[in-house]
Amino acid sequence: MKKLLQKIAKKSPWLYRINAGSCNGCDVELATTACIPRYDVERLGCKYCGSPKHADIVLITGPLTARVKEKVLRLYDEIPDPKVTVAIGVCPISGGVFRDSYAISGPIDNFIPVDVNVPGCPPRPQAIIDGIVEAIKIWETRL
Amino acid sequence: MSSFLKIAIRNLLKGPSTDPYPYGETFVPKGLRGKIKYNAKACVACRMCEHVCAGGAIQIREVSDKSGLEFILWHNTCAFCGLCEHYCPTKAIRLTEDYHTAHRQEDKYRYVEKGFIKYVPCASCGTPMVPTAPELLNVAYDNVNKDIERLSKLCSKCRKEKVCG
Repeated sequence: MKKLLQKIAKKSPWLYRINAGSCNGCDVELATTACIPRYDVERLGCKYCGSPKHADIVLITGPLTARVKEKVLRLYDEIPDPKVTVAIGVCPISGGVFRDSYAISGPIDNFIPVDVNVPGCPPRPQAIIDGIVEAIKIWETRL
Repeated sequence: MSSFLKIAIRNLLKGPSTDPYPYGETFVPKGLRGKIKYNAKACVACRMCEHVCAGGAIQIREVSDKSGLEFILWHNTCAFCGLCEHYCPTKAIRLTEDYHTAHRQEDKYRYVEKGFIKYVPCASCGTPMVPTAPELLNVAYDNVNKDIERLSKLCSKCRKEKVCG
């Protein structure tokens, strides 16, 4: 039974989105990737979920502002292991244009183990799909 | 009811509107600002790109053995704004239409565009200097003749002496 569940779970990781103080540019691209039929991320077996407790792949946008830092870390701890983390946009990866600002605590990999980076300001939906494909490959090895 | 049927039949005939990517080919809009390509041969190291770069992605620095200048662009902080391309006088920096940016965490700091400008000795005094790219001469002069070609091989000090006597 456990083996069967593992086999099934490999094919359908659930996505969870955290906005760590993003400008919403990357969030719009994420919504585009998921919601409009042209890019339809559900073809890959993925599904967006509303609760961190159901998540397998975490997509993080935003440069981790000082105000939102504690909340993001608390939310991240609620996601059960194993999980795969994908940083979307240049902000979580390096700080982007906000780097060295007093309001920014990032880059995010100082606090959270990131697995895949998708730089861009914002990245194209196709680039995000590339990142999710890469994340699914890692997800399969972690189960 | 009939209008609904009309739409349903039209959509059936049109086929799926989903982009086949990543299983098939996708489209790239013309003029998409993607990853930057750098051509060291055309670069004159004016450092304008480093100055205007919004994300602070570009760095031009002398290598440790002082044999030339190194151009480093870290894609992970580049915002694809295109200011570097706009301000580059010799068009050494171009934005390509390549948007495939996803990579693993272990490659984070290796995800760079690099270039190397080797110093050449001045034709008169031998001081190492940044070579003058032919692209810059084309920007500065209507027609490049032999005299200008000869002057471009000199360092700024020798050039001044040659021109002003």
